[in-house]
Amino acid sequence: MTALLASFLLVVAPQAEAAAAPSSSTASPAAAPLEPAPEAAAPEAAPANDVAAKANDEDEDYGPFFMADAPSDTAFATQPRKGKAPLLSVGQGAFCFVDDTHCKASLLIDATVAGGIRAPASHKGPDIPYAHFGFRGGLVVRPLMFKRKAWHPWGVGLVGGWTLGTGSVVVQSGDGGVEKSDTERTPAVRVGLVNQIWLSQRPHALHIDFTLGGVRSPVLTSGVPLIGTHAEVAFGWGGWGAVYAAGDFLDRDTRISFGFRAHGIAAGPIIALALLGAALGGAL
Amino acid sequence: MIASLPTLAAIAASWWLAPAEPPPLQRPTVVAPGETTEPTPPAEPAPTDAPTDVAPTDAPIEPVPTDAPTDVAPTDVPIEPPQPTEGELRVAAERSGPPYYTEEDLAALRTRHGVEAASPPPREPVRWRCLIADPTCRHSFEVQAMGGYAFRARQGDVSRGTVDRWHSARAQYDFWLSLPALVETEGKNRYTRMSMGPKGGVIFSDTGDLWGNLGIAARYWLGRGRWAPSIEITSALTYKLATREGNDVQGNHFHMQRGPVGFQGDVGFGLGGFGAIVVGGQYDSPLAREDVPEEYRVVSSGMFFVAFRGNILWGGPAVAAVAAHAGTRGVQRP
Repeated sequence: MTALLASFLLVVAPQAEAAAAPSSSTASPAAAPLEPAPEAAAPEAAPANDVAAKANDEDEDYGPFFMADAPSDTAFATQPRKGKAPLLSVGQGAFCFVDDTHCKASLLIDATVAGGIRAPASHKGPDIPYAHFGFRGGLVVRPLMFKRKAWHPWGVGLVGGWTLGTGSVVVQSGDGGVEKSDTERTPAVRVGLVNQIWLSQRPHALHIDFTLGGVRSPVLTSGVPLIGTHAEVAFGWGGWGAVYAAGDFLDRDTRISFGFRAHGIAAGPIIALALLGAALGGAL
Repeated sequence: MIASLPTLAAIAASWWLAPAEPPPLQRPTVVAPGETTEPTPPAEPAPTDAPTDVAPTDAPIEPVPTDAPTDVAPTDVPIEPPQPTEGELRVAAERSGPPYYTEEDLAALRTRHGVEAASPPPREPVRWRCLIADPTCRHSFEVQAMGGYAFRARQGDVSRGTVDRWHSARAQYDFWLSLPALVETEGKNRYTRMSMGPKGGVIFSDTGDLWGNLGIAARYWLGRGRWAPSIEITSALTYKLATREGNDVQGNHFHMQRGPVGFQGDVGFGLGGFGAIVVGGQYDSPLAREDVPEEYRVVSSGMFFVAFRGNILWGGPAVAAVAAHAGTRGVQRP
């Protein structure tokens, strides 16, 4: 019984001390036990004066406090842009010439190169390599950011593009044996609806673009342009560049390509230099 | 063990009962001169109950004055404050709030981990908005041009095991998205130690050969200055787009040409983001399946190259690339 009582007291004693602690913690540090009272604390005889002593209201000192940066607040030496206005934008991101995470409407204009495979129908010949270069333009908007200031990851837009691809080869059996034909090039025009999902609010954030639309291009070696389905998934960094996988699905002519896309501001000098070099080198 | 239990219980009971009332404040008391000769009013002496609760020991308990004598007129004659006696509870003064660590604590911590007390001064802002790469940049989007010598080779007659070799030039224009892959901190300054990101562009060589490429570019900085040395490593898939070389099917004019996907890779040593000396190679896969007619087959080929690559914004690499591209006009291809 004695041991039980002692255990009980050992358990409850710290709790009682903790309960009594607030009463002592409310005392000012000058009123700590065994500390000599300051001379200024002597006129405590008139408690009513304590209220009058706050005439100047010391409470005005409360917040906001501008503390020095914490040692962990590190930064690159890059010059931050003021506010959230994206680069090359007007109206605080109302319209951007280079797409970014805080743009409400953005212009898409870029150049691309891609390589992949062209897979005709089985009786039209073998799968052959396929590559193309081209240009794309469009407009993408963030509908849920028009009225609200809150950021939203969804964007939608309309894009159109033109590419010039490598030619096709058709090998098939005919009455006279194996018939072979080919084309030198494959132009294609695409129009699509793009849906964007931005994965971050930081500048030049990563985003995933899904594009679904139509493609109009000559099928195999027929020379007849038909309309097919175009689908693409792209991973982009802001509006500066993206890597993508795309497919054109036409009648008996499927093209799968993996490419890189760069904004026109970056692709323009590259195109100019390439054309200059090709002209000087005698390629053109 | 059993004998110690009552003692333990007594200690716990004293611990339990002690904080029931806060201990009275001990302050110097000021008493009027004449009051020392007069009998003390019964209400003014300090109550003896509270001190007995604080220190229930065997030591003699001295009367502790409280705030009660404040109604006595203060005089200039102080009275010696009560001296603490043996056995009286002493409470150490505590710091009431942050900072919980003093400068001495932080100095000991810095000494233990070898950290300098003074943070290095902040770096100057990066020039050119990181269009030319710098270790102090987080992102950098670069337009790179490369021009240099290329030793090219191509499979010849298989029956005789020959290989066609010739000297040529190589020009390459790429767009790099350099993203921070490894970041380090010095004081409040952040630096990119290694950047990595996608890149793509076009490659030219003699006779109008044109490839597209899609790959990854990485740069490891060996310093933190604007002219810091760096090691650049790139690798990419390459695919033929066009050529001027004719064959049985197509004439000698610039036309689209298909080719299987190959690869290229290079290693460079650079200064800042301005330029680098690059050594690399490229391999173009063959297209020689039996189901592909003979005239559409492609032989394997490749090249080794030594070149100068850099950002086009300061002009040097662009001039080198265009000059190398123009130099392919005089190449004699076997």
